[in-house]
Amino acid sequence: MPRKMPYYVEPYDLVGRPARFLEAFAAILEHSTYGPVIDFYARLKTRCARCPDLCPVYQVTGEKRDIPCERSDMLLEVYRRYFTTRGKMKGRLLDDFELTDEYLDDMAESYWRCTACRRCKLECPMGIDHGLITHLARWILSEIGIVPKALVVSVREQLEGETKNTSAIPVPALQDNCAFLEDEIREMFGYEAKFPIDVKGAEWVFFPAVSDYLLEADTLMGIAVVMQITGGSWTIGTGDFDGINYGLFYSDRMLGRIVRNEAAEVRRLEAKGVLAGECGHATRAAKGFIPTYAGGENAPPVMNIMQYTHRVWKEGKLPLLAGAIKERVTYHDPCNIARSGWILEEPRDILKHICADYVDMFPNRRENYCCGGGGGSVSIDEIREFRTKTGGKAKADQIRATGAKYVVAPCANCKKQVREVCEDHGLSEVETVGLHDLILKAIDWDRVKNVKKETA
Amino acid sequence: MDAWLDFARGPAFRFALAVMVLGLLRHFALALLSVRAILRRAGDKTLPVTQIRKATLSWLFPVKKLGHHTLFAAASVLFHLGAIVAPLLLAAHVTLIEASTGLAWPALNPLAADILTLLAIGGLLVLFVVRIAKRAARDLSQRSDYGVLLLVLVPFVTGFLAAHPGLNPFPFTAVLLLHFLSADLLLFMFPFTKLVHVVLLPATQLVSEAAWRFDPDAGEKVAKALGKENQRI
Repeated sequence: MPRKMPYYVEPYDLVGRPARFLEAFAAILEHSTYGPVIDFYARLKTRCARCPDLCPVYQVTGEKRDIPCERSDMLLEVYRRYFTTRGKMKGRLLDDFELTDEYLDDMAESYWRCTACRRCKLECPMGIDHGLITHLARWILSEIGIVPKALVVSVREQLEGETKNTSAIPVPALQDNCAFLEDEIREMFGYEAKFPIDVKGAEWVFFPAVSDYLLEADTLMGIAVVMQITGGSWTIGTGDFDGINYGLFYSDRMLGRIVRNEAAEVRRLEAKGVLAGECGHATRAAKGFIPTYAGGENAPPVMNIMQYTHRVWKEGKLPLLAGAIKERVTYHDPCNIARSGWILEEPRDILKHICADYVDMFPNRRENYCCGGGGGSVSIDEIREFRTKTGGKAKADQIRATGAKYVVAPCANCKKQVREVCEDHGLSEVETVGLHDLILKAIDWDRVKNVKKETA
Repeated sequence: MDAWLDFARGPAFRFALAVMVLGLLRHFALALLSVRAILRRAGDKTLPVTQIRKATLSWLFPVKKLGHHTLFAAASVLFHLGAIVAPLLLAAHVTLIEASTGLAWPALNPLAADILTLLAIGGLLVLFVVRIAKRAARDLSQRSDYGVLLLVLVPFVTGFLAAHPGLNPFPFTAVLLLHFLSADLLLFMFPFTKLVHVVLLPATQLVSEAAWRFDPDAGEKVAKALGKENQRI
């Protein structure tokens, strides 16, 4: 029986889906902390229609199903009908709402059209976190097999595959890659920067989006140079070197297992904490959920590399040339680190120093638009047109309005999506880079080498 | 008719008030208990208290929110101002509440009460117009959304007419009775409609933040409940 999900789902049991969905929903309500939250939200609905104005998907489609409140209500309606006394009685007495295969398909499509960017929460007077409801709905759907294959395959390799990372990079290849990048830095800048591997007792264990090792050489070289110049104590662990956590996008079961592995690697290497690379969701997953799944108050701390770089630059340990980047530069706030107001000014402070012509997008910071590939949807190639033309339209308009040559997107997912958005919206002259790509171009090598000579 | 009036402003009023107070207290208590239930099982029990406080206050006093969707926001703020203050501080209401509960407080002067009442009525009408004029709002709206607007509108309009017999084209006693009965119904319906947000709003930012504090063992327990504990991904 064909289903209408626009993304590819691995073959799964199509029989009795509504009943199995309810069984999974019941199990999650019983064994997790979602029950009280969903019950609270189910009693609280005003349908004030402030949220549609903020949703980049609704702004393009104008479809009712893309209104955040309406989308959340799809799951809440199932909860009301099947898990509240009032709903059960109403269901028996009246020929009321019933969960059907069609309704499930509508939910599946709706919850993957949402990028879980949580922009709508900013304008919800009732404070309803529609991103949380999307997060929960996707978990329930995944338990009956409805989950994009692109995400499952990655998580399968990360948790149960031979390589233990989402890009399936074997350890020897990682080591070769790091050695190659060290050579590149030496050739390009005449500077010896190391990618330390398995150094026990280092302060930080580095967890970038592992795809950076394949795709973002400049970002990684920039990070290695910054760490070397500033004497940063860090290491890459061969037990786990992937910060990507697609569990955040579809299943708390996977989310927990992935962050536990990160914490275990930090402990194996007797390090202090996690140094997350330029990746929004990897940073949020580690920061937000290592305390939950790996030790509570005793969990290893998490810092994003941009926070580190900003700190050492402010301390005067990182010499950067003012105005080194002549072309116009703008900054894209990844939702996972900006929406809560967490990392906003650190990259901007650096960019305003090293760029001769820095401009902000509008709106920005907490209110910035999602790139359109949030919530893991960037990995789903089957929906590229939807991602870029619909979800990414607001971002394309923002970028075009800045007239920037460089868009700094300090996130592996955002980088891929912004590049595709630019391609599909005729912004071919725009280059999408990481923060450390530009930092690498702005290093004041004379001062670095003089300091080195003086120290020697 | 006098017996009906006495009933509406006497036992019916006390009953509706009791249902409203107890019902809203129950909702508020449930909200706080839900946070306690979450944090009891959560692996990470910390909450961003300052962020929650700021977000809560920004919606309780939404002055900074007026920039977005200004007409709707302004109408909403003015409506809430009138709808909260006028009924509580109107002299006739203060007397009625004192007679029913023994609690008393100073009353507003009649002109201020009139202005607030008109703000409530005007704000409500704008909210109604926005709901039917704005596509997303119209799409989202259910019958109950219009029903609640009517539920709130009637006691304000009838109250204003009762207080200004010169403007009232209808029989005074009928309007007064309608005012009493519609107000009783409004109070009674608070815990059962979206009006419940009056007590849930102060807790909602707290609940939404606590919502991300997960039970660390939930995944394993769910897998076990679904017979998937040994299943590969």
